[in-house]
Amino acid sequence: MNTYNMVKQRFIKKWINTLHMLDSSIEHPLNVTERKNAIRLSSDLAIAAARSGATVWSRALISRSGNKTTNKPMARRILKKARNRIKNRCSTLRRNGNFTAKVGVRKRTELLKSLVPGGELIDDKDYLIRETLDYIVYLRAQVDVMRTVAAVDLVTGNLTNDRRNK
Amino acid sequence: MLEGLVSQESLSLNSMDMSVLERLKWVQQQQQQLQQVVSQSSNNSPELLQILQFHGSNNDELLQSSFSQFQMLGSGFGPNYNMGFGPPHEAMDECISRTSSCHMEPVDTIEVLLKTGEENRVIALKNKRKPEVKTREEEKTEKKIKIEAETESSMKGKSNMRNTETSSDTSKETSKGASENQKLDYIHVRARRGQATDRHSLAERARREKISKKMKYLQDIVPGCNKVTGKAGMLDEIINYVQCLQRQVEFLSMKLAVLNPELELAVEDVSVKQFQAYFTNVVASKQSIMVDVPLFPLDQQGSLDLSAINPNQTTSIEAPSASWETQSQSLYNTSSLGFQY
Repeated sequence: MNTYNMVKQRFIKKWINTLHMLDSSIEHPLNVTERKNAIRLSSDLAIAAARSGATVWSRALISRSGNKTTNKPMARRILKKARNRIKNRCSTLRRNGNFTAKVGVRKRTELLKSLVPGGELIDDKDYLIRETLDYIVYLRAQVDVMRTVAAVDLVTGNLTNDRRNK
Repeated sequence: MLEGLVSQESLSLNSMDMSVLERLKWVQQQQQQLQQVVSQSSNNSPELLQILQFHGSNNDELLQSSFSQFQMLGSGFGPNYNMGFGPPHEAMDECISRTSSCHMEPVDTIEVLLKTGEENRVIALKNKRKPEVKTREEEKTEKKIKIEAETESSMKGKSNMRNTETSSDTSKETSKGASENQKLDYIHVRARRGQATDRHSLAERARREKISKKMKYLQDIVPGCNKVTGKAGMLDEIINYVQCLQRQVEFLSMKLAVLNPELELAVEDVSVKQFQAYFTNVVASKQSIMVDVPLFPLDQQGSLDLSAINPNQTTSIEAPSASWETQSQSLYNTSSLGFQY
């Protein structure tokens, strides 16, 4: 129980930092979609940074997110701390198209590889499962934190609306 | 994750209650036989008497019955009483797990005391759960994955340290032999241990066990995975879960984008009182939305403790019965006014 809370707290701290950096370097996009992408990007970077690059998925996520952003120097700035610990630079990953697995463990493992960032680089099935486990934990932490923050935002949004309406 | 683990635990406990009912009658029979066993075995008698007294004081039926089972095996009454072993065998697994999880000290004493006797077989049976759980939890802590109770794992680790004789591999193999053949447990246990020294089979078994161990970890982490067996099914569940989580992240990020027009999700480590103060003092002024959405007391479960936030806000907390679409609409309206919160 303690370790999961620690995971969440590490994630929160990184997420605050990445959001600040993103906000300072991007002109304010009024578009909801762009905001969503920025939030998603920052939180992905945050969970990867929270894992400190010790796993394949975190490195792959960092490289993938770094390539998605239009502003590369900003991405590099965000990732500076995380990259200091990274030994290898993962090459850019391309997701397979929609791949529906029908039968067989093999096809399912390929699908899993496409889901988990960095999965395609892993050949050993044991290691893939271990990576998946780790990734699931951090994903879960991400979801939990975002959900609570959204709930708090809802509350504060409501509160300020009430005050405004008064 | 929490829910999944909790539900799993409750499931096992429920099934064990059923088995407890069956075994209550059995226990009464065994207790009489136990007395005979105790009287007969002369070497271990002082220790066994201690154990029995301990159990007499400890009103735990399960512990007594499990202990009596061990006694049966250890003393060689196996062939006669294994007929009764049939149904409660899985119950014994669960019993062991429960006892190992709930009553750490008596289990430790049992282990130590039994070790002096013929124990290797007995401990091998008991270690059926323990090395699996122990190694699983070692790897879990190594990967910083949440465990049900870390104190349990540390205690189990301690109790396992005492069993220096049996390596985890051989004990697992003996346990596998025991799980497959219920009737002549102790004989097959020995045969398996002999086979374990073969290089190939040992490596193969180790590899297979590693994979199955991993599958068990995943069963714990991915909720609802325990009903499906086989690799393909579990991979399906895992894939489903990962896709589900990723979709949730997408949705939540969209929600946050809507709720925070300025992308300033600033969160600070503020105490609860400051948080309350923030809410009461916020004025419609030209403050930027450093929405010091102060992050709240993450209580032990890490979930938002809304009750701790502010009693004054009860009205506003009830207000969000409004769906968040209307919420977002209102936000857009305010944002059109040049959102000054």
